[in-house]
Amino acid sequence: MIRFENASVVYPGGVHALKNVTLEIPDGQMVVIVGLSGAGKSTLIRVINGLVPLSDGDVTIDGVSVRHARAGELREIRSRIGMIFQTFNLVKRTSVLNNVLLGRLHDAGTLRSVLGWYRPEDIEIAMQALERVGIVEKAYVRASNLSGGQQQRVGIARALAQNPKIILADEPVASLDPPTSHVVMRDLQRINRELGISTIVNLHFLDLARVYGERIIGMRQGELVYDGTGAEADENVFRDIYGRSLTADDLLGEPAAAPA
Amino acid sequence: MTAAQEARPTGRPAKPPRSLALPIGVVAFLVITWLSLSEEIGIGLNVGDLIEDAGRGLDIWAEFLEPNWAFLPDTLGPMLETFQMAVISAFIGCAVALPVSFLASRITAPNVAAYIADRSLLSIVRAIPDILYALIFVAAVGIGPLAGMLALLFFNIGVVAKLLSETVDGVDPGPIEATHAAGGNRLQTTRWAVLPQVLPNYVAYSLYTFELNIRASTVIGIVGAGGMGQLLNAQRAFFRYDNMVVIIIELFVIVFVIEFFSIRLRRRLV
Amino acid sequence: MTAVAMPARPARPSHAKRNASLLAAAAVVVWAVLSIEVDWTELADVPGGIGRIFYNMFLEKGVDWTYLPTAAEGMLDSIWIAWVGTIIGAALSLPIGFFGARNVSSGLISNVVRQVLNAIRAFPELVLVIVVFIPIAGLGAVAGALAVGLHSVGTLGKLTAEVVEGIDPGPVEAARAAGGRPLQVQRWGVLPQVLPEIVAFWLYRFEINIRAAAILGVVGAGGIGTIVQETINYRRWDKAGLAILVVIVATILIDVVSGWVRRRIIEGSGARRVGGEALEEPEFAGSGAGRVDTDIG
Repeated sequence: MIRFENASVVYPGGVHALKNVTLEIPDGQMVVIVGLSGAGKSTLIRVINGLVPLSDGDVTIDGVSVRHARAGELREIRSRIGMIFQTFNLVKRTSVLNNVLLGRLHDAGTLRSVLGWYRPEDIEIAMQALERVGIVEKAYVRASNLSGGQQQRVGIARALAQNPKIILADEPVASLDPPTSHVVMRDLQRINRELGISTIVNLHFLDLARVYGERIIGMRQGELVYDGTGAEADENVFRDIYGRSLTADDLLGEPAAAPA
Repeated sequence: MTAAQEARPTGRPAKPPRSLALPIGVVAFLVITWLSLSEEIGIGLNVGDLIEDAGRGLDIWAEFLEPNWAFLPDTLGPMLETFQMAVISAFIGCAVALPVSFLASRITAPNVAAYIADRSLLSIVRAIPDILYALIFVAAVGIGPLAGMLALLFFNIGVVAKLLSETVDGVDPGPIEATHAAGGNRLQTTRWAVLPQVLPNYVAYSLYTFELNIRASTVIGIVGAGGMGQLLNAQRAFFRYDNMVVIIIELFVIVFVIEFFSIRLRRRLV
Repeated sequence: MTAVAMPARPARPSHAKRNASLLAAAAVVVWAVLSIEVDWTELADVPGGIGRIFYNMFLEKGVDWTYLPTAAEGMLDSIWIAWVGTIIGAALSLPIGFFGARNVSSGLISNVVRQVLNAIRAFPELVLVIVVFIPIAGLGAVAGALAVGLHSVGTLGKLTAEVVEGIDPGPVEAARAAGGRPLQVQRWGVLPQVLPEIVAFWLYRFEINIRAAAILGVVGAGGIGTIVQETINYRRWDKAGLAILVVIVATILIDVVSGWVRRRIIEGSGARRVGGEALEEPEFAGSGAGRVDTDIG
């Protein structure tokens, strides 16, 4: 269970990115966060694994405080949280497998990982993660040779290789075309349902949010302004969150193809 | 409204005030240059004298134009030594430079203290030209290639660490964020998120260093640190300009050949 | 989703080529270590030797501060040498660089000019001073300055030519279309684009020339090099230590000031490269080396 208690973040320079957010996310839930750029979506996600430090309040995961975790504890917490990025954040010059193995770094220990002497079990976990997202045949291909959608799936595999309890996804499909976006979102949904991993996704395409978000959280100027189901979130709700009428840029526009 | 404002048609912006920086800079430049050329303070460049004395050089140049090719076999030993020195120094220098350069980059340095200490040390190491290192090491361990290799070692570390740390400063921060998010520590991040990005550059810099070492051997050899430079100096002491010219031509050819391959190799890497 | 056959896991690729190169490189290093005529057991004495020298220079009696005027004068000589040499190099390399640029002069001329520049560059200042300038100008700072100047023409000329070749052709076309004569086109169409970067090169060359000038002192071409050599040869360690300190401090100071000026020039213009070894080896430019220097050094 992820719990936010009056979490606040003020960036140096005075920007109040999160204002007193209080929130509970039970295990296994799929949550979509929507809001304008700068509304606090990225910050909300990044305080969960401590990439952004809290200025006030706290975030706890199964009772363990993120804000007060020391360096080693923080790494332990992070190792159980997988993260997926809008720009994929793969190491372009190295193989897909090496990228997925980044997810095994914490569990493999410093000595083994720095020397590259991963145990067979670690390699096995990485391979299985690749199989789960369906691109194991690219295991030894250089990451930069893959398409955008494939690279994001490597990102997902990297997160899966951590055997995570939580997956955070920061605008995972913003750089992808519509059909690929649906593929990736369906992968995330499948992983959430089959493996019971809590999944928290930032999206700025509202139609995607409605389709894939079992729970939708709306952020505006750092404050939580909406918390409800995908079904309930209609245009009025979104207009409240965004503070303006919807435009074509807010929608992906293409409905999902019928599931295979 | 002042007269100037009345004269100007409305809407046109006033000419921005001329910055003082440029005139001051130009004056400073001229003063320094004048000082540098003067007799008492500077180097005493007198073009008239120069042209008169040019004739002096002709005799010496005449000797330079008659290379003594019979000397060639005698150069092979020192040439080999230069090569060996260049290889060993480049190898060790580049190996040491790797951790040094990671400490010298904000991205991979463990804390601010280590960063500042490392960068300061690097500045000092780079402020000493290779010949001064050679002088010091010859005094410390005696004449010969050992002193030369030590001198080249410090020189190499300075060059490679600076180049590499600047490259590290410019890496894509994305993979670093991803590694941190997955729970990796700084060492793991450096190994898997930073190193793969800079490795081709690192190899290119190492090759470049080897090249530099060959060229530097003339220079450090002059003070007795081994290799072809030492041979060159010996010939200079005996005024054997005909032998010196052979050595110089040989060096020229060697550097040219090595550069030829090195540039191609480096281009494929970076 | 109906069950599909799982694609087979790929086999580990072999890195034959890479491993072979690594092995070859390692073999060369091992050969060099074994074949060089050095008594490796002497390595054990090295720390002691260095420690002794360090002690003699800096710790035994402390550096000899009374020697400061002499050392400072020597360093100043080296700075003058570097200054004059850089000016000669800059002044000559500007027109030569333009002639060496394919897009400004003809293909043939630019090729010849580039080859000549390469030939000049190949000779370190030390060789130039011994072979060419001491015979002409005798021992002393003038020979040093001329040698530094000539070598700088080689390097700066090449860099200038490359910058000129890299310009945006738009303004040049506009200048021509407006009826400008060739010299005017260069002055107003090309020069404004390239001047900041070229001046930054001049400053960086000055920093390097300081070191070159210090080196030349060792063969009698004036400057602090002579002082360091003599004090070491005569075992005047405290004076040698001071001279070395002077070199370090002066070099760092000049690097910092020059770096600051370079940064101001480049930032004002938005040009790409600023300094560093990237200047000497353009294929390094894209790698991030040579970007604006950050704080120390």
